[in-house]
Amino acid sequence: MPDQQRPGDRSAAQRAEDHGGIARLADALVPALVARLATANLGEVEIREGDWHVRVRRPAGSGPRRERPHRATLPIVAAPSGPSASHSGSSADKSAGPRQEVAASPTVGMFKPGVPAGTRVRAGDRIATVDLLGIALDVVAPIDGLVVEVYPQAGDGVEYGEEIALVQGDPPTANPAGEG
Amino acid sequence: MVSRILIANRGEIALRVLRACRTLGIEAVVAYSEADRTSLAALLADEAICIGPADARRSYLSAPAVISAALVTGCDAIHPGYGFLSEDDAFADAVRAHGLTFIGPSSQVLERFASKEEVRRLLAAHGLPTIPGSGLLGDEAQALDEAARVGYPVLVKPSAGGGGKGMRMVRSARELAAILPICRSEARAAFGDDALYLERWLEDNRHVEVQVAVDRYGHGVHLWERDCSIQRRHQKILEESPSPAMTAAGRRELAERAVKAVVAAGYENVGTLEFLVDSDGNAYFIEINCRIQVEHPVTEMLTGIDLVAMQIRIAAGEPLGFTQADVRQDGHAIEFRINAEDPAHDFRPGAGTIERLNTPGGPGVRFDSHAYTGYEVPPYYDSLLGKLIVWGPTREMAIARGKAALAELVIEGVTTNVAIHLALLESEPFVSGRFTTNLLDRVGAAAFLAAAERT
Repeated sequence: MPDQQRPGDRSAAQRAEDHGGIARLADALVPALVARLATANLGEVEIREGDWHVRVRRPAGSGPRRERPHRATLPIVAAPSGPSASHSGSSADKSAGPRQEVAASPTVGMFKPGVPAGTRVRAGDRIATVDLLGIALDVVAPIDGLVVEVYPQAGDGVEYGEEIALVQGDPPTANPAGEG
Repeated sequence: MVSRILIANRGEIALRVLRACRTLGIEAVVAYSEADRTSLAALLADEAICIGPADARRSYLSAPAVISAALVTGCDAIHPGYGFLSEDDAFADAVRAHGLTFIGPSSQVLERFASKEEVRRLLAAHGLPTIPGSGLLGDEAQALDEAARVGYPVLVKPSAGGGGKGMRMVRSARELAAILPICRSEARAAFGDDALYLERWLEDNRHVEVQVAVDRYGHGVHLWERDCSIQRRHQKILEESPSPAMTAAGRRELAERAVKAVVAAGYENVGTLEFLVDSDGNAYFIEINCRIQVEHPVTEMLTGIDLVAMQIRIAAGEPLGFTQADVRQDGHAIEFRINAEDPAHDFRPGAGTIERLNTPGGPGVRFDSHAYTGYEVPPYYDSLLGKLIVWGPTREMAIARGKAALAELVIEGVTTNVAIHLALLESEPFVSGRFTTNLLDRVGAAAFLAAAERT
């Protein structure tokens, strides 16, 4: 497409315009989207404004229930290589705070709960199982820590790689009590 | 009845099945591997579900994962597409055991038609000519006797083999004696079975196949033939119909014998019988494919029948609803397989991101493809990017439309084999219709490309 440009092809004036646009979006739009994300039961909000494309995603585990991860929008309708601002709705997954990792489903099947949220686990421990035609496969803890949340309900269908539980790692400063 | 189908395949055929579901008012769930998360079928489906990692053995070839995906998404049927699990009778049986409909022949039918050697015997008994050959070979003396009876040159074939693997052609008794122990050890290594048999080698042959459809009530029709003689390394790259190598009477006779034999042998659903046709026009049955084929659109263009929709309806237990007299064969159709591979470098497969795509159009032009601008072609699977099918009232018109459409087709970001198709359409053997399956391999793709440059 003739209007398609690689980021490196853009002139200094265009780049300055981009930065101006990003700043404007970050100041006005993103806080509004974050607020909407918090009030609505959504995992992700995505809007387009002209060439701009903004997606705000709730960090894994901070919401009541996340969306199925695979329902992506058609990439052909997105601005091909136009500027895109992606902001995290919270700083939980940044440097501040303890490390969090997600335990993923090893297969596609029926979810069977194991340990409840609040359980302390070691890396490799079974958190839950996924039933593949009668064979129970373990969902294991990725790190030592505390199970903060288990997403699926008993009997839910889950896909391969689906996020099953959020585990919050023990803080690096050997504090055995953690914060749970 | 079928109301929600899990499509357990990828690429263009997943999209093709999705389209058939839409026209039938059936919901479609696409099962995809991690590498196909952004595939067009997954994006367009009513629902999509990840069944495993990129490695097909743990996703598209995993019967438990596919069946489990169908169950958790509330599907009542599974469409296997082609390749992967499409002709696996154990899979079809497991699908049925879980209360789901397998879109294809029943497991009993798949089992009956699974062994190449047995199918050849079965269909020969129902009147199909097969290539003169031997039974399983014993010791060297017996093998030499068999070869003399069959007549040199002969092809030594592993009984458990498939896909052209482990086959050797020999022209004399001395060559045969020398090669037998090698063939045995190769067959044992590749298939875990060192049983061998002989087939007469047809020097210059064409590959012609007959499309059939048989409902559960034993009512079958043929949908004419497709000529798939343009191949590279035993893989088809261009198919057309009617076959330019056969007379109208010859084509009719072959198609009628084929459907009569498979109905008598108890076949069910859509299927394709492959034949080798020698230079005298004699056709020899070689194998049956119990699934929808890549080149099915050629037949759809000539008959106006949606083969995938028909396949679903037959599996759901519906009668065909038409007779042989209703099947027309209008004009001429050619399909070009557009592969992400480089014809100038031994058809080396490629991967990458499609940066620009322009698809051709106009009268009699169809493009079945899962490609879109920005699509990342994963390196894990076959190289088929799409199929360009052209139709014309005559072969000349179909060729003219093919040239125009290929010239319009623009795919940037990955190397494709479009150049070899354009070169073929300019070449004398193709235009005259006088070519055999070894055309590309004998002359070499480079020579075709160079000749096309000069014109």
